[in-house]
Amino acid sequence: MKFRNGLIAGASAVAFALVATAASAEGLTIGVSWSNFQEERWKTDEAAMKAAIEANGDKYISADAQSSSEKQLADVESLIARGANALIVLAQDAATIVPAIGRANAEGIPVVGYDRLIEVPGVFYLTFDNREVGRIQAREVFKKQPKGRYVFIKGSAADPNADFLHAGQLEVLDAAIKSGDIQVVGEQYTDGWLPENAQKNMEQILTANDNKVDAVVASNDGTAGGVVAALTAQGLEGLPVSGQDGDHAALNRVAKGLQTVSVWKDARELGKSAGNIASALASGTAPDKVDGAVKWSGGPKGETMDAIFLKPVPITMDNLNVVIDAGWIAKDRACQGVGADGAPACR
Amino acid sequence: MRLWTKQRFGYIAAATALLLLAATGGHAQTVSFAPSATSIDHRYEGGFPFIVGGGVAAFDCDGDGLPELVFAGGAATAALYRNVSKPGGELAFRLAPAAALALTEIVGAYPADFDGDGHTDLALLRVGENVLLRGRGDCGFERANAQWGFTGGTAWSTGFTATWERGAPWPTIAIANYIDRVRPDSTEGACHNNMLMRPKADGRGFAAPLALSPGHCALSILFSDWNASGAADLRISNDRQYYRDGEEQLWRIRPGALPRRYSRGEGWQRLNIWGMGIASRDITGDGRPEYFLTSMADNKLRTLAADAGSAPTFADIALARGATAHRPTSGPDQARPSTGWHSAFADVNNDGHDDIFIVKGNVAAMADFATHDPNVLLLGTADGRFTDTALDADVASPHSGRGGAVVDLNGDGRLDIVVVNRQAPVEIWRNTGPAGNWLSVALRQDGGNRDAIGAWIEVEVGKSRHTREVTIGGGHASGVSAPQHFGLGDVAEARVRVRWPGSDVWGDWHRVDANRRVTMVRPPR
Repeated sequence: MKFRNGLIAGASAVAFALVATAASAEGLTIGVSWSNFQEERWKTDEAAMKAAIEANGDKYISADAQSSSEKQLADVESLIARGANALIVLAQDAATIVPAIGRANAEGIPVVGYDRLIEVPGVFYLTFDNREVGRIQAREVFKKQPKGRYVFIKGSAADPNADFLHAGQLEVLDAAIKSGDIQVVGEQYTDGWLPENAQKNMEQILTANDNKVDAVVASNDGTAGGVVAALTAQGLEGLPVSGQDGDHAALNRVAKGLQTVSVWKDARELGKSAGNIASALASGTAPDKVDGAVKWSGGPKGETMDAIFLKPVPITMDNLNVVIDAGWIAKDRACQGVGADGAPACR
Repeated sequence: MRLWTKQRFGYIAAATALLLLAATGGHAQTVSFAPSATSIDHRYEGGFPFIVGGGVAAFDCDGDGLPELVFAGGAATAALYRNVSKPGGELAFRLAPAAALALTEIVGAYPADFDGDGHTDLALLRVGENVLLRGRGDCGFERANAQWGFTGGTAWSTGFTATWERGAPWPTIAIANYIDRVRPDSTEGACHNNMLMRPKADGRGFAAPLALSPGHCALSILFSDWNASGAADLRISNDRQYYRDGEEQLWRIRPGALPRRYSRGEGWQRLNIWGMGIASRDITGDGRPEYFLTSMADNKLRTLAADAGSAPTFADIALARGATAHRPTSGPDQARPSTGWHSAFADVNNDGHDDIFIVKGNVAAMADFATHDPNVLLLGTADGRFTDTALDADVASPHSGRGGAVVDLNGDGRLDIVVVNRQAPVEIWRNTGPAGNWLSVALRQDGGNRDAIGAWIEVEVGKSRHTREVTIGGGHASGVSAPQHFGLGDVAEARVRVRWPGSDVWGDWHRVDANRRVTMVRPPR
């Protein structure tokens, strides 16, 4: 049976579990608007998304905006014209896409904002929990170094995510900072998130502190790379250092013990969840009844939205096998040059 | 050698044909340029403040009809190159000493005759004090800030434009300012105000500057009469990377009234782009300019919305016309979006359809954007669509381009191309393609606004009509003061008329043969 979301008497079905709902409404079409499909990373997302949609008995159609926000407007129109019952939109430009979302709303077609916030009422927001990323970074460093002289190497001042991350880091470390167990001896934004800027900042902090630094909370793997280079130059390699993104070079540093943690966001989880959410919404599930949905209003405009924030995974020396088993990185790359005291997964 | 003569009281001056090109058929899609090994040896240098800018001013300062080039140098000093090309021949330039130009920290340069003495002057936009140079003839310049009451300021300035408000003998100028360097990392955004300077009451020199607030980190600014009302308003293109609640702006500028922004109620709509440069030209044939706004990824081609009425409401037509130019169409880096800077409308093959040249280049090391980001030459066609032909035309340089100029450097009736690169040599291409017929129109009038900035020119070619507003400003840190170039296709003659600044009526039509430079002189009022 085919029905359009929101308009049906069968909306009582929405109270059931996600899988059951989707199964009852198979044969729907899910339209996915990619911002720039030539970027390698989205191919992983797509495979998982497509598999989830097809497992629900629905059809996957897609369009690639090729980095053009103006093309993406036309793409969304065309996905609607091709009969999409729900849309998944990876916005090239969250501001420019708004009229297309309005068009979908007018037709009663639900929209999942994928990975990038589209702050329009009614849009379902799916992404990783960035604040949790910051918490994990701080938590893993804190486990290794519960006291001492800490440095924060933050992201770009121009990127709101940099502050989200830092807020999460402080949530974890605040008590220890207040008690005096942790002294913050350096804190810098990193212009453009560039490793060379992180390295330069770290060098200056080391000089100012006569190398007396015990731990570094760096906000991503790129900046962590700059930090590790600065530490190594002073013979300080092996201090606790955090990162995120699961960069291949960073995972190799984790394996060698040069970096404590890389917080990893599994694109397959993101893609699969989006597929399931879209199938559920298409078959009439109310957004706030989607499994795991929360109300969220943390965007710049303060709109209240239904959202799911996936938990990122801390990758440390002890669980490096997770990314290898997932096929995210080849074992020989992750374990390149790793000695006997390195990650167990490399043995 | 003078390339044209001036007939003081005639409506149209005698013209000297330079190269009488045979009317050519089948030239429409063929464009070719030759990299020119001139003696120009100049680079736009420097760190953070010079990631933007890299301007060039093109204008004739020695009276031979061929444009000289003044290049911003960033951390290096600016340079003036005299054009010593043989008319119709190879391009040649010679570095000319100019003490007044021996300044560093220059981001952009725009030419305009401020004082109406017949010698083009220069506005130099700097990180720090801006400088106006008075042209003294034969490419001599002197600093004129004090003499003209010009406040140079301390901001990071990027763009310039000028208009002569109705009845004024002295220009009203506006200066675009970018990030406040004192707090560039501020997360709430930190943009300077832009500046407007009107004439002093006695009509000579500038009154105290007016702040155009709020500023949204502007990179380009242009006085343009968007609705052909007879008065120019001020369009400002802003870099959304650095503002928090900003947008593109249009300020209403009317004599005797304080400048004010057009409001939502009046029809101005929010647009957020990484605005780098503004180019304008009527390409839809409705007698009102379209605006090409360079940005990162999509560039915007804006036209007055069909239902705009008298409101400044614009719609995007870049996608429909194939003019988004949002990522490279050649080279090894086509998966990532590109970064556009200077742009200019220009009919490079004289087929009667305006083309768009876009200078491109990565900001510095922005990983989300193409590193190999060649310039784009969008060739206009009869159906109104554009196609990138930069690779075939041989102008797809992968250097990190910034400023530029599309201007006839050797007087052969074909537009040549100048590109200023960041941390790489300036590039110049001579237009060597087969081209259609052309017409070059200079305007002259008495009074302060000698070059008739703000005039409109109409050229009627067969059944089609080109309407052109004469402006100075926009682009990316770069400006051209030169006769207006029109491609005529196969047509051997055209009709020309002018609506002079401050006039509500069009002048008479004049019949002109193709392939010549003419000077239209304003009849005595």
